[in-house]
Amino acid sequence: MNAPDRYERFVVPEGVAKVSYERDTKIINAASFTIEREDHTIGNILRMQLHRDENVLFAGYKLPHPLKYKIIIRIHTTSQSSPMQAYNQAINDLDKELDHLKNAFEAELSRHSLRQ
Amino acid sequence: MEGVSYQRFPKIKIREVRDDYMKFELRETDASIANALRRVMIAEVPTIAIDLVEIEVNSSVLNDEFIAHRLGLVPLTSERAMGMRFSRDCDACDGDGQCEYCSVEFHLRAKCINDQTLDVTSKDLYSSDHTVVPVDFSDSSSSFENSENKGIIIVKLRRGQELILRAIARKGIGKDHAKWSPAATVTFMYEPEIYINEELMESLTLEEKREFVESSPTPVFKLDENTYQVEINDAEAYTYDEEVIKKAESMGKPGLVEIRAKEDSFIFTVESTGAVKASQLFLNAIDVLKQKLDAVRLSADTVEADEQFGELGAHMRGG
Repeated sequence: MNAPDRYERFVVPEGVAKVSYERDTKIINAASFTIEREDHTIGNILRMQLHRDENVLFAGYKLPHPLKYKIIIRIHTTSQSSPMQAYNQAINDLDKELDHLKNAFEAELSRHSLRQ
Repeated sequence: MEGVSYQRFPKIKIREVRDDYMKFELRETDASIANALRRVMIAEVPTIAIDLVEIEVNSSVLNDEFIAHRLGLVPLTSERAMGMRFSRDCDACDGDGQCEYCSVEFHLRAKCINDQTLDVTSKDLYSSDHTVVPVDFSDSSSSFENSENKGIIIVKLRRGQELILRAIARKGIGKDHAKWSPAATVTFMYEPEIYINEELMESLTLEEKREFVESSPTPVFKLDENTYQVEINDAEAYTYDEEVIKKAESMGKPGLVEIRAKEDSFIFTVESTGAVKASQLFLNAIDVLKQKLDAVRLSADTVEADEQFGELGAHMRGG
C-alpha cells in the first residue's frame, strides 16, 4: 500500500544532482563522487578502469544501502593527477572501449552471416 | 597528462547466432565489463510490454487483475523501443502514456459460442501498430508436427463466457518490472585452460586413468581407446567443481592436471525472449551502457565550483 514507486530506483528526483563531488578535507588529491540512481553496473566498471590508471593510488566504490539508490566512488591519486582528472579519463576510456566493442561486434556479425 | 589512455581493445568471436540465441567469445577485457554488459542486457535494455488494461467484459474464470498480469508478461516485438519515449517523460501526452510516441494500443475481443473450449491467445490481441505485435514463435520451432499457429494462451473460455478489453503497452526496463526484460538468460563463464602433466599421467594404470576420467561430473576428459591416453574432450564442460583435482590428490598424484580460468576471456550465452533479436540485444546493451556512462560525467558547474574554491573550499567545509 505504501510501497515507494518502482521508478524510484532509476529516476533521479528533481533538484538532485546526478553526480556530486566532494574533496577530502584531510588528504590532498583524494575525493568522493556520489552518483545518484546507479549501482554495481557503473560502480564496478569505473573502479576497475581507475585501477588501470597508474596515478590512481586508491579507487573503490560502495553501495551504502540496498534501499538507497546511490553509489559512492572514492579516488585518491598521486600529485601527477587529480581525482577529477582520473574520473574523467576513466569514463572517456570506457566510452572508447565500448565504441570499439560495438564496431568489433558489428564486423564479426556480418562476417559470421557470410560464413553461413 | 593529455593523450594518456588506458583504453583496451576487446575482441569478439561469434560461435552461433539465431534470432533468439547467441553464443560468443569476448576477449581482452575484464570481468567488470562482461558483468556490466550482462546486467544491462537483463535489466536495462528497454522493451515494450502491456502496462495498463481496461476490462470491459470479463466473464471468464480468471479475475481481472490475473488477466492483466498475464497480458503484461506476453513478449511484444520491440525493435522500436530504443527510439521510443518513456511515458513518464513524454511531453506530447503529459505523462498520461496514451499517445503515439510512447504507447501502443491493443484490443481483445473473444466469446465462446459453442461447446468446444475456446483458447484466448496472444494471437487474439489486435495491435494499433504493426511493428509492435505479440512475438510469434511458430516458425522458429517448426519441428513440431502441427504447424498451426497457436500463440501464448491467456485464458480459456467455456460456452457463454466472454472477454473484451483494451490494453496500453508502454516502453520500460527490466529494473522496473521483469516483464520488460528482453533476456530469458544471459550468462558468461571464464574460459578454462587445462594442462595435463603427461609424464605423471603415464605413471597411472589403465584402470586409474579410467577412474580419473570418470571422476569428473561433466565430460571434460576422455580416454582414447586405441592409445589409452587421457585427452581433453571438452574443456568448456568444466564447471570449476575441482572434482578431478581432488581425485588426482586422492590417488597420490597432485599436479596431474592443472586447470586455470583465463581471467580476460569470457564465453557468453544470450537467450532472448523474442522481443529483440539476441544479436540486437547485445548491441542495444552497449548503447545503453554508453548512455549510462555519459550520464555520470561531471557537469560543468561542479567542475567550476571546485576550481573556484579548490583547496580553500575543502578546508572551509571541513572546519
